[in-house]
Amino acid sequence: MIEIEHLTKRYGTNTVVEDVSFEVEEGTLTVVVGTSGAGKSTLLRMINRLVEPTSGRVLIDGEDTRRIPEDTLRHRIGYVIQGYGLFPHRNVADNIATVPRLLGWDRKRIAQRVEELLDLFQLDPAEFARKFPHELSGGQQQRVGVARALAARPALLLMDEPFGALDAVIRAKAQDDLLAIQRRLGTTIMLVTHDMNEAFHLGDRIAVMDQARLLQYASPAELLMHPADDFVERLVGTAERPFRLLSLAKVQEAVEPGAAEGEPIAVSDSLHDALSRLMWTGHRALPVADAKGAIIGRVSVDGILEHGRSLP
Amino acid sequence: MLGVVPPRPMLSLDRLGTVIAILIGVALFAAPFATYRATRIASGQSRLLIEALPFTMSAVVAIVALAVAAGAAIVRDPLGRLGSAVIGLAVLLPSLGLSAGYLTPADNTFARVSPSTGFWLLTAAFSILAIDALARMRLGPYGRLAALAVGISAVALLLFSGIWNELSILKEYHTRADTFWREARQHLVLAFGSMAVACLLGIPIGIAGHRFRTLRIAMLQGLGIVQTIPSIALFGLLMAPLGALAASVPLAAALGIKGIGAAPAFIALVLYALLPIVANTIAGLSQVPASVVDAARGMGLSERQRLLEVEMPLALPVILAGIRIVSVQNLGLATVAALIGGGGLGTFVFQGIGQTAIDLVLLGALPTVGLSFVASIVLDALVDIAKGALA
Repeated sequence: MIEIEHLTKRYGTNTVVEDVSFEVEEGTLTVVVGTSGAGKSTLLRMINRLVEPTSGRVLIDGEDTRRIPEDTLRHRIGYVIQGYGLFPHRNVADNIATVPRLLGWDRKRIAQRVEELLDLFQLDPAEFARKFPHELSGGQQQRVGVARALAARPALLLMDEPFGALDAVIRAKAQDDLLAIQRRLGTTIMLVTHDMNEAFHLGDRIAVMDQARLLQYASPAELLMHPADDFVERLVGTAERPFRLLSLAKVQEAVEPGAAEGEPIAVSDSLHDALSRLMWTGHRALPVADAKGAIIGRVSVDGILEHGRSLP
Repeated sequence: MLGVVPPRPMLSLDRLGTVIAILIGVALFAAPFATYRATRIASGQSRLLIEALPFTMSAVVAIVALAVAAGAAIVRDPLGRLGSAVIGLAVLLPSLGLSAGYLTPADNTFARVSPSTGFWLLTAAFSILAIDALARMRLGPYGRLAALAVGISAVALLLFSGIWNELSILKEYHTRADTFWREARQHLVLAFGSMAVACLLGIPIGIAGHRFRTLRIAMLQGLGIVQTIPSIALFGLLMAPLGALAASVPLAAALGIKGIGAAPAFIALVLYALLPIVANTIAGLSQVPASVVDAARGMGLSERQRLLEVEMPLALPVILAGIRIVSVQNLGLATVAALIGGGGLGTFVFQGIGQTAIDLVLLGALPTVGLSFVASIVLDALVDIAKGALA
């Protein structure tokens, strides 16, 4: 668990982060979102002490980060930035091996870990281990950047606009991959972005920042239903609100008894996807299948709309 | 008109090649090939190619030179151009030695024969052709080093085979062979020793300058001013303090530090060398991408690890480019050291000027030019190899 307590950063009279406090649960993905210059990168960089706080403190599993030597602290925290900062003079394997080497892992263990990570990120070790960063596509560089950050199995991963340099198609894939890997490894992630869609897609919890202050820290649904103020409401996008809510809810929640014609919808899909399918295919209702493919009921346009309204 | 390519004329002339061909023509027919002097300081008499060599030999040189000229103008394949230039040099260079033997009367040990305008122009024309051909072949760094090694071997072969021994410049060499090698060694110590010291001082200063803005500005401005001081003036400026140092500190005198001699020359060369090295170290470090440095910090590389494992390797090509500038600059400036008793190949240049013996001047000057040329090619190749390692 990460506890951020009254973190403040001032440069002269200019306050960049002002009295920010919140807690991040183990194994969750927290997104810090806000306009540029809101102080979100500085907040992130105070966690691994790339920026020293003017006041306040950060506890990781109860331990004050100021008590841990800077470099030791950073060895324990993964760090991914926009542009990734891969070392251009080292190949992919050596880039990924950076922190394990600093920690003095033996050669064999490092080689094993590199291979494991390349597999995890769907990069064939035989093909990619010896390549240099300039020989990789943007998406591949991004994956190597994340793999490098995860190399020494950090409990916490900090990501600053990690998808900012990717085009829309590759970005969506990279986001899904990150979610899958996070679910699999259980890594606690704090991710900074200015993209509200990204925040809703990825975040278990979302922290909204503006002008150095934390405006609201809540679950995506809470943010939609009860925005703390006008700024959050505008950022969330009033017109988009019902659709975002439907994206957050699963088909599971709107299953009704009965039968329907057509291609079944998976019970784990979002209501947004289900409504989209219904509209596109012109059906009033479609059957719902569980993970094994058995039909467990149906989902209808009326049911979804009803459900949308009835959400708290 | 898009897509319409005018037909290429059957016989198209290469521009540089045409200039080279004209140069060869002028050199052959309008310029003297060699100069004959009755003694080493007597005024010279020009000899045309036809007079400087036996008839058949001069005819061979002329025909080969004309063939190379034609080839330079017409042949576009770089390998062909290189081949013709090499053949040209292979005929021309030994012929100079033959000319010296032919022009010197038997048993006359005073007479001197030196190359003249025509020979120099032909050498220049063939060399430009060869260098241009090598450039067009876009050799990699290792290829260029190999070509250089071949060139050096060829010159060494000419020098040590004895074929040029009748030439005036080699007679100057043979009468002072011991001094020549001593001064050559001194020249290298002055040029490369001062370069090494400048690297030991300049790279750390550059690293500090990269970190601290005020130091950076102060260093670059201070060293910039030093660069503008003419070399002789700088030697003069160093004489007084070093003389005083030698007079007051016995240890300094014991180490050979005094107002004149090698010490002020060495120090001046170090000072001149500092600016390119400091400036290039700073430039090299500042072009390391900020995201790479940020990622390195974020992963917990200590300041030292960041410098040695990330910043310096990435700055290396730019720092080497600075060292390349310094090596060429110092080899040239070291010549001037002779003026204040610092030794080096400049000794022969200034002796020769004093005695109006041009060939003695050349004995000092040609090796200096050759060394600069070699240093420049070697370091250029190293820069490319360093860049390649980064690529």
